[in-house]
Amino acid sequence: MNIRWKALLAGLLAPGLMGVSVPAYSQSDFYKDKILNIIVAGGPAGGHTRYARLIGPYLQKYTGAREVRITNMPGGGGLKAANHVWRLKPDGMNIFFGNVATLILAPLAGSPGAQFEPGKFGFLGRATSEARFLTVGGKSPIKAFQDVKKLNRPFVYPSQGTDEDFYTMAVLAHALGFQLKAVTGYEGNADTALAVIKGDGDGHITGWSESQGAIKAGDKRPILAIASKRHSDYPDVPTAEELAPADQKSLIRAIVDINETHRSYIAPPNTDAQATAAFRAALKAVMNDPEFIEETKKGNRPVSYMDGAQQQKVVAEITKAGANLTPILKDAVKAIQ
Amino acid sequence: MLEAIASGLAALLTPQAILFMVIGVIYGLIIGILPGLGGVVAMALLLPFTYGFEPAATLALLLGAHIATVWGDSVTSILFSVPGSAKGLSLCFDGYPMTKQGQATRALAASATGALLGGVIGAVFLALSIPLIRPVILALGPSEYLMMALWGLTIIATFSEGSLIKGLTASALGVLVAFIGMDVVTATPRFTFGSEFLMDGISFPVAMIGLFAVAEMMKLYLKGTSIVDRALIKEVSTVWQGIKDAFRHWWLVVRSSLLGLWIGVLPGVGASVAGLAAYAQAMQTSKNPERFGKGAVEGVIAPDATMGANEGGGLMPTLAFGIPGGESMALLLVAFIGLGVVPGPEMLTKNLSLVFSMVWIIVIANVLVTLIGLAICPYLARLPTLHANLMVPTVLSVCFVGAFATRGHIEDVVVAFVFGVLGYVMDKYRYSRANFVIGMVLATMIERNLHISLTLHGEFFIFTRPLTLILFIFVIVTTALPFIRNRRRKKAQAAQAGTQGGVA
Repeated sequence: MNIRWKALLAGLLAPGLMGVSVPAYSQSDFYKDKILNIIVAGGPAGGHTRYARLIGPYLQKYTGAREVRITNMPGGGGLKAANHVWRLKPDGMNIFFGNVATLILAPLAGSPGAQFEPGKFGFLGRATSEARFLTVGGKSPIKAFQDVKKLNRPFVYPSQGTDEDFYTMAVLAHALGFQLKAVTGYEGNADTALAVIKGDGDGHITGWSESQGAIKAGDKRPILAIASKRHSDYPDVPTAEELAPADQKSLIRAIVDINETHRSYIAPPNTDAQATAAFRAALKAVMNDPEFIEETKKGNRPVSYMDGAQQQKVVAEITKAGANLTPILKDAVKAIQ
Repeated sequence: MLEAIASGLAALLTPQAILFMVIGVIYGLIIGILPGLGGVVAMALLLPFTYGFEPAATLALLLGAHIATVWGDSVTSILFSVPGSAKGLSLCFDGYPMTKQGQATRALAASATGALLGGVIGAVFLALSIPLIRPVILALGPSEYLMMALWGLTIIATFSEGSLIKGLTASALGVLVAFIGMDVVTATPRFTFGSEFLMDGISFPVAMIGLFAVAEMMKLYLKGTSIVDRALIKEVSTVWQGIKDAFRHWWLVVRSSLLGLWIGVLPGVGASVAGLAAYAQAMQTSKNPERFGKGAVEGVIAPDATMGANEGGGLMPTLAFGIPGGESMALLLVAFIGLGVVPGPEMLTKNLSLVFSMVWIIVIANVLVTLIGLAICPYLARLPTLHANLMVPTVLSVCFVGAFATRGHIEDVVVAFVFGVLGYVMDKYRYSRANFVIGMVLATMIERNLHISLTLHGEFFIFTRPLTLILFIFVIVTTALPFIRNRRRKKAQAAQAGTQGGVA
């Protein structure tokens, strides 16, 4: 049996195994011959756009839409697009695609840029969630996470500003018990990565794909996985939850859950139920399409699908659990002001 | 290494690669000429078409288009004082006056040749300095960037014709505008008045379109004629003059190219700074600085050479560390990953021939752009003779569409209009718009790097970091030098007048 058949079989079996009674590949005609707008939270060069463009043609195939239009709306670290979608007509024709972690964390930290309640959006499904790592410079005296506590000084963390990594770092410092000195003002990931490689800063958080090259070359070293389980590429790197004291594990779990919501499709609050169902089903079909899976492998862009209905529940739970994070996040923001 | 140079070129000599390069260059020129659209948009639009082709051809398409946009920007700056992006701005200062004097063909030819020479010199030095790149990038940090930005501030004096107070006022206004939006250090909204749109700040290209293009069109409308009236001013210049100009100022071209290359290599310093720095450098080292701003051809050649070289330099952080230096490089990184190439230090050992393919692409694309440019510049030079009734609505609509296209916000069209009025008023009362731009560009760069330097290295970082100290002394010396020279000149003149008086 060749790979294609195996993938097809797996695709057909997956919904059944997951115990979800979705008639495989049967689509409602809601989007048929209409124009579906995907509003990507970020610039044309960003990772979200890459995924949105990869998924776009397949969404068109399974929704039957005349066109899947991808528009970029950069700004405010994704908050601008979220604010925009929050206010749009809930007819299901305008869908947000971007990092949901930001949408959950910004309101928790009381950011003035967030003018929405994350739990009220309609969650349509996650396309991918990339493992994130705390990495240190290749020449750093920090060989493993234990060394962070032996520094006898704060861990210097170069940061772009109050993005989800900044908040995650604040929670890690609180839960794992080390001192943190965030240095904000860097211009982007390239800037903070260089600061870490140079040794100006101790370490920063990056996604798996962004840091691959530097890690392979020995310029950076991963010391902590911010994920629910260890990554197969770095089996020796422990997860944050493994290292957390028992009473702090729930905090770590909350921040990891939030981070793992990552790249998802969401709709304005109270979106048409028919539209929601049609989009969720189409996305599911895309994620099980063997041709699509093949393309993601070829382009080295891993996907990790989560069903929309399931995600809606997860977000409701983590937003509630995340309330404990608020004082930590607010303190972190205060510390840089 | 020689083998890599040869195989890098050989990979580009396939029919597919040549075709892709030509397509990329022509497409890039068109995108570049439209204001508001630049290299990033050009590459983003091409990216989906690149899957499944050979690496050299893909890179020829993407990089070729990117490089062509650079000169496309210069064209509108020279002809209409419409900077297509922040990079093209410095071409308005002398290129546009040249157009008004009937020297558009010469200015365009000089700019195209300057860009070619810059691109080639940049590429050659890039190839030579590959082993040096990593140590240099690692040696320079926020405190050194701060010093470079401070040096940039000294340019204000250069642009303040007559009144330094007016020059400083214009810069201060630029600084204030740059502060609109989320503060880069503490993420506190500044001057946003509760508006969501203002939280992202005023877009630099949009402000440029307003300050220069819209303001110039307002002036033209009030004047009621064409930019250049052929009845009064004949187009006297030729393409050949422009080419000769660029070669005549070869030393300026070399200096500007190296400046551009290194500004490109440093990830924290943007291309908009490169153009301004090149212009200031040309002016400061000129024997007749008073000609600048009134149509000096050096003021066209230097920025173009710098920007031509800048693109090659911008590749380096991407290749040496796998870290994209800017948005366009992030796109290139995507293309690499699509091709199965992981950028990083390995690039400079394992994939050296691909690196040299890129160096060759820069050279060949520049040659193509210049050849096309030289061929069309006599025709382009006729555009400014169009009557205001035709010119103003056409350029204004392109400008406003460009302002909208930059970020896709309708509010940006309003911003472009407001800055147009501001630009008109500033120009009328002789507040330098260039100084406004310098204030706007450098404000955030200084704020970021000063804050990072203070937090990382403490209050006395200037004295504890040797390289910073050297740069600081350099800033002081270069700032003081013109004043000292001036005083000496005055003294000498006084002495001469004295002796002459004695004789009489």
